[in-house]
Amino acid sequence: MATVQATKQTQLTMVQALQSALVEEMERDEDVVILGEDIGPRGGVFLITEGLIDKFGADRVIDTPLAEAGIIGAAVGMAMYGLKPIAEIQFIDFIFPGFDLLVSEAAKIRYRSAGQFGVPMVIRSPYGGGVRGGSYHSQSPESYFVATPGLKVVVPSNPYDAKGLLIASVRDPDPVVFMEPKKIYRAIKSDVPAGTYEVPLGKAALTREGKHVSIITYGAMVHVALEAADAMAKEGVEVEVLDLRTLQPYDTDAIMHTIAKTGHVVLLQEAPRIGGYTGEIAAFIAENGVEYLEGPIVRVAGWDTAFPYALEKAYMPNAQRVIRGIKKTLNF
Amino acid sequence: MDIKPFTAEPIRVLAYDGTPVENVDRLGIGKDDWLKMYRWLVFARAVDDRGYILVRQGRAGFYAQIAGQEASQVGSALPLHKEDWMYPDHRSQGSMLVKGLSAAEWFGHVLGKMLDPTQGRLMPHGPGRNDLHIVPPSSTVGNKITEAVGTAMAQRIKKRKEVTITYLGDGATSEGDFHVGMNFAAVYQAPVIIFVQNNQYAISMRTEQQTHTKTIAEKAKAYGMDGYLVDGNDILAVYLVTKHCADKARAGGGPSLIEAYTYRYGPHSSADDDTRYRPKGELEMWRTQRDPVTRMRKFLETKGLWSEDQEQKLQADVKAQVAKAMEEAEKSPAPEPITVLDYAYEQLTPHLEWERRELAAELGV
Repeated sequence: MATVQATKQTQLTMVQALQSALVEEMERDEDVVILGEDIGPRGGVFLITEGLIDKFGADRVIDTPLAEAGIIGAAVGMAMYGLKPIAEIQFIDFIFPGFDLLVSEAAKIRYRSAGQFGVPMVIRSPYGGGVRGGSYHSQSPESYFVATPGLKVVVPSNPYDAKGLLIASVRDPDPVVFMEPKKIYRAIKSDVPAGTYEVPLGKAALTREGKHVSIITYGAMVHVALEAADAMAKEGVEVEVLDLRTLQPYDTDAIMHTIAKTGHVVLLQEAPRIGGYTGEIAAFIAENGVEYLEGPIVRVAGWDTAFPYALEKAYMPNAQRVIRGIKKTLNF
Repeated sequence: MDIKPFTAEPIRVLAYDGTPVENVDRLGIGKDDWLKMYRWLVFARAVDDRGYILVRQGRAGFYAQIAGQEASQVGSALPLHKEDWMYPDHRSQGSMLVKGLSAAEWFGHVLGKMLDPTQGRLMPHGPGRNDLHIVPPSSTVGNKITEAVGTAMAQRIKKRKEVTITYLGDGATSEGDFHVGMNFAAVYQAPVIIFVQNNQYAISMRTEQQTHTKTIAEKAKAYGMDGYLVDGNDILAVYLVTKHCADKARAGGGPSLIEAYTYRYGPHSSADDDTRYRPKGELEMWRTQRDPVTRMRKFLETKGLWSEDQEQKLQADVKAQVAKAMEEAEKSPAPEPITVLDYAYEQLTPHLEWERRELAAELGV
């Protein structure tokens, strides 16, 4: 199992780590191009592409009209032709005008051409709440993408993984939806090597070891899980935290390993519960690992409503909600 | 011939009866080209007619005929170069054949055999062929424009003298992706031809129910692009207008919209009943007075280039070619059920490997 092992180098934010991945991949391969709204002189609204247009020119850093279907569609056409486009969707809440191009085209062209055409592209997009953005700048729509065969879905939780996973995504032969937890874009730093490295897709990270209960989660919620784990440690409960990192395909071995070890599992996601991604993980555990379970599989999630503005603290899962979940399965 | 955008009447070289209305000796194409065009028209119609019979025999689940639109399809594909890219729509087999798809592959596709380039994965409205630069079509019509523009942007970025053509129908111009694609094409001056076959019906909806503009071609003006209205049943006109746009794009002149005004003889698809919405007499009028194949034949006859003997020989040759292609398709094996999981991703994911074991158990293999 891969764990986060930064060996050297600079402390970077996720924004800086993502930019370093883009620069290194664009330097490595001239077929890598990026496109999206305001990514040129503006540097993207979160400044991840800051300075790239000066470095690589307007043919490779393509500012686009305001149309997500155009961005995703153009990226599909470029990818089939042989480029390696990285499309930025400014907020993942805006991806829906381009949804058809993503789920009917990018995801399925390989299958319906019997492997003749591949669509090696990455869609990068910030997701998630906690930034006072209301429902158009806060959602976590990963379950739509995970439910679409042909797409891979990646969600980093820290700067080191963000860089390595983005590099792996750019080099992947299939389309990757790369969801960036904007709440922690600049909130945390970690050691990030200057050179190129890949964090392989489909491999989870054991972020914290424990023996009493496992929290399986991803993205910004990893930090909520760690906060809950710290609190539970004071009560003598050792919480293990598994960061999935890739939601499709997911690391079944790591999941089986942790539930076999602890026998209790809490699944944590920011998105609404019904039809949410962790329902898949719950079903996988119920089908394949029920003999290890000593308590119910508990899901902790956002409420089944739209994402609110002033009420977001009441909406988003926090450590207290996770602790209630942990106690529910431990006290079964 | 001076090819101008935004004409009120369709650009035309031949009148409905095949009489030239332009000086055909100054078109830059000659006798051999005319004969080649006519052979393609006859071949495309014969392949299509044979394909449709497969549905009526219960051997295929779906078919969208091109009958009536052969001049639009053949005429727009002939000016393309081998390296150019084609984005067909769900009624483009005439264009695909010209680009290099074989009749046997087309029949294999309709029958869902291994000869089908999609190996039975895509319903029979057109396979893709990567080596021929033919992209598989889509049923959410209109969305391919944005992809075609992306390919054309890539062609420009890589500084290649290539063009991309994307096909759609009149109905698809109502989709949001039409607007997005037109806008992207123009903003980036992409070397792309957006070729609309206005066959006057989107299933049952007539063009005037679809749009409030008099023509589709004029929509190009709003994007800062040239739009050409051409008689889609006049293969000489379709060829010349498409070549004009392709030459312009190759020379860095950017995108064009072409509206080929034509008529579909068949129902929308084998699942449609077109008697419910077509006015009486309309179909017969187009068949008897405006047919694209007959028009070209009459032209060749007026030029003294075609005889009844030649016609009979061509029909016999084409019939034999079609029969041979069908035989080849029928001999091709069906795809193995175990392959259903292949090509979802470049490699099977761990989950798909598990599903493969499940399927193997189910199939007893």
